[in-house]
Amino acid sequence: MIRIEPDAWREMVDHAQATYPNECCGAMLGTIGDEQKTVRIALPLENAYTGERGRRYELRPEDLLHADREARSHKLDLVGIYHSHPDCDAYFSETDLKNSCPWYSFVVLSIRNGAFHHANSWLPDAEQTKAEREELTY
Amino acid sequence: MAKVLIPTPLRQYAGKQDSVELPGSTVGEVLTALTAQHPDLRQQLYNNEGKLRSFVNVYLNDEDIRYLEKDATPVKAGDTVSIVPSIAGGSVAAPPEPATAELSKDEILRYSRHLIMPEVGTEGQLKLKAAKVLLVGTGGLGAPLGLYLAAAGVGRIGLVDFDVVDFTNLQRQVIHGTSDVGRKKLDSAADRMREINPFVRIDKHEVALSSENALGILKDYDIVVDGTDNFPTRYLVNDACVLLGKPNVYGSIFRFEGQATVFAYEGGPCYRCLYPEPPPPGLVPSCAEGGVLGILPGTIGLIQATETVKLILGIGVPLVGRLLLYDALAMRFRELKLRKNPECPVCGEHPTVTKLIDYQQFCGILQPVTTEGDIDPVEVKARIDRGDNFVLIDVREPHEYQICSIPTAKPIPLGQLPQHLDELDRDIEIVAHCKSGMRSAKAVDLLTKAGFRARNMKGGILAWSDKVDPTVPKY
Repeated sequence: MIRIEPDAWREMVDHAQATYPNECCGAMLGTIGDEQKTVRIALPLENAYTGERGRRYELRPEDLLHADREARSHKLDLVGIYHSHPDCDAYFSETDLKNSCPWYSFVVLSIRNGAFHHANSWLPDAEQTKAEREELTY
Repeated sequence: MAKVLIPTPLRQYAGKQDSVELPGSTVGEVLTALTAQHPDLRQQLYNNEGKLRSFVNVYLNDEDIRYLEKDATPVKAGDTVSIVPSIAGGSVAAPPEPATAELSKDEILRYSRHLIMPEVGTEGQLKLKAAKVLLVGTGGLGAPLGLYLAAAGVGRIGLVDFDVVDFTNLQRQVIHGTSDVGRKKLDSAADRMREINPFVRIDKHEVALSSENALGILKDYDIVVDGTDNFPTRYLVNDACVLLGKPNVYGSIFRFEGQATVFAYEGGPCYRCLYPEPPPPGLVPSCAEGGVLGILPGTIGLIQATETVKLILGIGVPLVGRLLLYDALAMRFRELKLRKNPECPVCGEHPTVTKLIDYQQFCGILQPVTTEGDIDPVEVKARIDRGDNFVLIDVREPHEYQICSIPTAKPIPLGQLPQHLDELDRDIEIVAHCKSGMRSAKAVDLLTKAGFRARNMKGGILAWSDKVDPTVPKY
């Protein structure tokens, strides 16, 4: 399961709401225990998709590299990636799956009419064929 | 010898270490050493065919090795190798990548006139379907390009524009209709293209192309077609194409004449080989200032479309190293030979331009600084009504007065102003106007230097129509 601490959660929701009607994206830094991942810091990153950003997002690998360094400097780990789905549910779409990486948790925030609605966390497989839902608390 | 940083989730396969020091003189050797030492990592990083998984990027320090020498990129002691996934997504399923392997029954019917020509055939149509073409601008040149490239079945067409359709566009920008006035050109063009061919994927880029975004946008396309109307963007598109190694299908139009060629293709010349320096600002009038025959961009845009399709199909003789000149009044085509300039600052042997620069500055375009002497049309009207003692001069050309004029204005075309100074009274203030305020600013400059008191009517007769008298037609 994955638990997001209140400050990090607030940061993620604020980011998603402020970016509405576009999709936002960012990195989640924290610790990985045997039973549970804990997110302590949310690091908003730029949505680098060059087309319509209301329906797509893209993370620059350089930004992720930077996020990983940021994590290491805080003695934390890069735990996962978050992004928002404006005006639709927090499912893991075909697009999400085809551009995913099995090493991280993917938290999706559903934003409706500019306000947070619900969220899910997903764990995609290495072949990018399916994603399992992960228990999420915040 | 290099240090490899292990992403947290992979540390379980690397003896729980967050980094590993490994021998090797290239990135490839270091990675081989990594998976030899930690065989479980292999399956995480490589697919069954032994290739790096699609989401895995390898960085040497801060650079993606794909842009260095890939696996052969040399490493030295103290270097850091990082494994960074590429991640993207979105709330909708990605628009399906065109299935390039075959044509559907509907597509076969649609492209039948292509398929029966052996020069195109199924193979050529599949090349068109797999092609990605970026149109910079959806105006005069972009209109026929968008219509015909969509109809021809180019699989993915990107459009760059941030303008909205206005009435003055409709005389030539045939992709937009009267009911589209006020809509974004991107939306209007994309709707029309989808109507022509729903099999085409259209990507809208609602931006002004700039040094910051150009490489990011252009990199995803095979061919770039320049349909812009200004020098800074033309140099920007050219330099970005040269830096990315993409062909730049160029066209330009003015009044009754046009030009077309293909730049930066397989070692051919680029725009800077032809024009190393931009003309001084204001010397070459734009279509808004000088006008353009509405049909002209149709002819030039379709020459660009033809070249684009030929490049995709790999047939015929491309318009490379040749500048095609078209004169509509004489109905004559001429060709100039273009040579690659070995000294070219961007594509020459020793390039000095190795990244995108500030093109506004390069083209000498500065923000207007002298606004102090400007006078608003509303104030000019008030002065006329009060009977103030001043003279209003109209520095436009005679055929422009015929379209519209301000009744009390004295016509003196800018070019004839120096010869008519004697007719003006040095003791009376002069207000100059033109269509939009550019030429009258030059007139004010000239008059001030000649010892007159002169002011520029801000926004020209277009602003007069907006603010004072809406019955005055705009053009």
